[in-house]
Amino acid sequence: MRERFLTGYNDFVLPFVLGMAFIISYCVVGMVRIILQLPAEDRKRFFISLVTPATLWKNIKDIFLKCLIHVDIWKRNKLLGYMHSSIAFGWFMLIVIGHIEVFLYTPHRAKLFYYPIFFRYFVAETESTMKGALIFFLMDLFLLIVLSGIALAIIKRVRSVMFGMRRTTNPSFFDLVGQYSLWAIFPLRLLAESFTADISGGSFLTKSLNHVFTSFLSNHANMLPAWWAYSCALGVFFFVLPFTRYMHIPTEILLIPLRNAGIKIRNARKGLAKAQVYSCPSCGLCIDACPMGVMKANIRDTTVYLNRQIRRQNEARIEEISDKCLLCGKCTAICPVGIEGDKLRIAQRSIRKYNLSPDYSGIPVSGLAAAAGDFSGTGHGERILYFAGCMTALTPAISRSMESILKKAGADYSFMDRDGGICCSRPMFMAGRFDAAKQLIEKNTEIIRASGADVLLLSCPICYKIFKEKYRLDGIRIVHHTEYIDSLIRQGVLTVEKDGTRYAYHDPCELGRGCGVYDEPRRVVEAAGVLAEAAKNRKESICCGGSLGSLTLGFDKRRAMTENAVTNLMAGSPDRIATACPLCRSTFGRYSGVPVEDIAEIIDRKTTKTDRS
Amino acid sequence: MDFGFRISPSSAINLDNVDLTLFERLHEMEPDVYKCMACGSCSATCPASVYSGMSIRKVILCLQRGREKEAFRMMKNCMLCGKCTMVCPRGINTRHLILSISKLYSETK
Amino acid sequence: MKENIVIIGGGIAGLEAAGQLLKLGYSPIIIERTERLGGHVASWHRLFPDMSPAKELVDGLVAAASGANIFLNTEISFVNRLKDSYNIMLSNGISIITRIMLVTTGFSVFDASKKEEYGYGVYDQVITNRDLEHWFNGNADPRIDNSAMNAVGFVHCVGSRDEKARNSQCSKVCCITAVKQAIEIRQKFPEASVYCFYMDLRMFGKKYEDFYINAQRDYGIRFIRGRVSEVSENIEGKVVIKAEDTLSGKPVKVTLDLLVLMAGMVCSQASSRVAGMIPLPTDSDGFLKSKDNVYGVVESPKEGIFYAGACTGPKTVPEALAEARAAALDVHLFINGLK
Repeated sequence: MRERFLTGYNDFVLPFVLGMAFIISYCVVGMVRIILQLPAEDRKRFFISLVTPATLWKNIKDIFLKCLIHVDIWKRNKLLGYMHSSIAFGWFMLIVIGHIEVFLYTPHRAKLFYYPIFFRYFVAETESTMKGALIFFLMDLFLLIVLSGIALAIIKRVRSVMFGMRRTTNPSFFDLVGQYSLWAIFPLRLLAESFTADISGGSFLTKSLNHVFTSFLSNHANMLPAWWAYSCALGVFFFVLPFTRYMHIPTEILLIPLRNAGIKIRNARKGLAKAQVYSCPSCGLCIDACPMGVMKANIRDTTVYLNRQIRRQNEARIEEISDKCLLCGKCTAICPVGIEGDKLRIAQRSIRKYNLSPDYSGIPVSGLAAAAGDFSGTGHGERILYFAGCMTALTPAISRSMESILKKAGADYSFMDRDGGICCSRPMFMAGRFDAAKQLIEKNTEIIRASGADVLLLSCPICYKIFKEKYRLDGIRIVHHTEYIDSLIRQGVLTVEKDGTRYAYHDPCELGRGCGVYDEPRRVVEAAGVLAEAAKNRKESICCGGSLGSLTLGFDKRRAMTENAVTNLMAGSPDRIATACPLCRSTFGRYSGVPVEDIAEIIDRKTTKTDRS
Repeated sequence: MDFGFRISPSSAINLDNVDLTLFERLHEMEPDVYKCMACGSCSATCPASVYSGMSIRKVILCLQRGREKEAFRMMKNCMLCGKCTMVCPRGINTRHLILSISKLYSETK
Repeated sequence: MKENIVIIGGGIAGLEAAGQLLKLGYSPIIIERTERLGGHVASWHRLFPDMSPAKELVDGLVAAASGANIFLNTEISFVNRLKDSYNIMLSNGISIITRIMLVTTGFSVFDASKKEEYGYGVYDQVITNRDLEHWFNGNADPRIDNSAMNAVGFVHCVGSRDEKARNSQCSKVCCITAVKQAIEIRQKFPEASVYCFYMDLRMFGKKYEDFYINAQRDYGIRFIRGRVSEVSENIEGKVVIKAEDTLSGKPVKVTLDLLVLMAGMVCSQASSRVAGMIPLPTDSDGFLKSKDNVYGVVESPKEGIFYAGACTGPKTVPEALAEARAAALDVHLFINGLK
């Protein structure tokens, strides 16, 4: 190995060095700010997680699998996965092997951080040694992999359908600058290294290209512009990085440990929220996932645009986007980076200023508590408190079926809100009015505790989610009626008559993605008939469009969403649609061509009285 | 001074004296506010109505008649549960209407 | 040349038009989907405002139309557009070539189970205006027969004036039907309290207002201005309804033995099917679109195709009959114009 320059320096490294210095200081400052913005207890938890071996290992594993390999994207679409991992992992390997090269050949230059990047300009080497042959081969190989990724990225810009994406994001100006400079880096690197390959050595790619070039370019002075261009492309990329979507590359490395530390969004713009917003790679997977996307007008209200507007601090658009969302959580479920589109929006809603604040202190709970404590007294097992919820009051078919099932099961139950009750507070919570929600939670907690129940049985997944997450009802089991019916069937308390009716089961957002209940309702449906799965189901289920999550979408604006969701459910040509949410039931009932039923209704219809009652 | 009687203010609503500037601004934000036909579905289904007489129908009416205090008293009990939105035959987005009123109007005006 | 006149639908409008055309010397063809003539009215009991028996009216219309060529249990399989006429293929294998069609396909009663908060099909005590009329007409109904009638409620505007039910127009006849049926209930069960829950009472027709006053003064029917929004069941298995008495501004709750839903009129599937075959446009309310809603109500935008009755929107019986006569005259003038 021979170094060509004693100084080990050339002016062309400057754009890269300056860019690198800028981006590193930017990232360090940003990271420190985000960590400082965390509430003290979260910060403490974060630091502890960093030194806990289990989370430390998980962090390393997640960073490797998510940031470099992009496993989540692979699962979604192989070509898209290859495109992402070829660029990320390929580039990473170029950097790693570049450093190995420097350590092996010119260890005294290791402190110059530009050296590995421009290594082949500064050295003269032949690939005739085994070491050279291997390392140069690897360098060329990974360069080729990155170049193939770049080529795919260019194709994706034109034909995103090939990558399983119907729609992609509209890039902003800086995104374009960043994208073009990123695309330019690797072809320029290939060009520069090829020019010098006869001096510095090279492998199958650079060396061969060198032979082509030398046939008409023999003067080595010509190599400098190529190295300058390469360095400039890097420099430009690093300088625009903070203003582009590529900021997700460094931010995600922070987001993963924050998430693994179990930190939640506490502030609309700071801390974790900020880390999430900057982690958005603008890949646009959420655009196709969004149930509002069936109407073109709503495409710019998807999570990727929310993140962009939050970065731009465009308050009017932030408000519009966060208020329109149905909070179905599908973007969160499919986001390869783990941005919580729904929680981010609730956080934005929570910073609105209202002049009138709710006050429920005047609501007397004694009467409600007395009604709740009025158990049927069959003496069979646990005391079950049935809370139908507000929405179920408008679909009496569900509550009536549930009561019938409870009677058939001989349960010792009480119908807490037969005569009306207090809202569970989830709708208030979704509107971002946490203080009001807390008051409601306190009221209901008081009623439920006073009732002496062992189990709280719910028919509405909206209630179920908030009861599970925000209520402190120590000792009282919280179950959704699909779980309860499933357990009754499995214990043999209910005998269901199975027939050949085909049911498409719709996963309600709050029950499926919200609480992870996917299997119990399916088992129940299969006990009564044949399950005909929808085209998209489980965590990819499409919101019925009736969600209370959206504050601004009017009734007339939701029709196209419901019709689209019905079409999705009809994929398995079912005879009936089964769901487990009063709101989904009434929304689908309006536009579906086949009957829509709640699981409770199906089971009530298909069971007869058992011995226990 | 107490004369043993008071001249109580007229209970009649004089529309000439009602300042509707705020209501007009509300109408700009919520064009559907004029679609209400006072069927009472919202009040009947409202879980807060039994405790406070909350009725978004009456709130709309009170705001139009310049009786804001009464409207605010009712609104304080709204739980934003969305039942009124579900039952409204005219498809008024009552939940957002309530939030808009809470933003626009102020008790200490 | 003898012109074929095809009347699609053998309800009261179709029958009346056929009767008039027979008098004018034509021999119209009536195509009826079901096994009997008279449509909805044939299964009704008495007609407002004079409580005249529906059977008499339908029998008279059927007798007057008996000279027509009537196909029962027959549907239109398809319609082909020829140069200046139509070839109609019937489900019984007969094909008719005609230049003149009179669409009298009528309406459907709104499916009350779509308003799930009212619990139709869930609670045994909840029925529709049609169920009640059938019961008045002598058909047994366990939901009515088995109950002791202490209180009966009528809910107006079920599936009418309701965007959530995808039907925002007024069905026109339910108000007066509710008044009629409420009176009949009081006649059958003099001890029962009868409530009508309305949004607006639209007593637009001849003698309707008198009928309404009658219901208030002579039958003591209680009219409550408020739309019912919830129906639940109490422990004794009776239905409890929630509404707002908007005039007093207070929520009301009533326990009932029978709840009658005044289901509105919607465009019938048969109308939509026929409209799709010819094709004819539908209006924003879902019913068939007339050439003009003021002076051309019985004309379609297509030459030679006419309408009568509730296929173009909710109609009362006399309105449907008047339209049928107007359409018969239009057909007559159209044929004269062809010569």
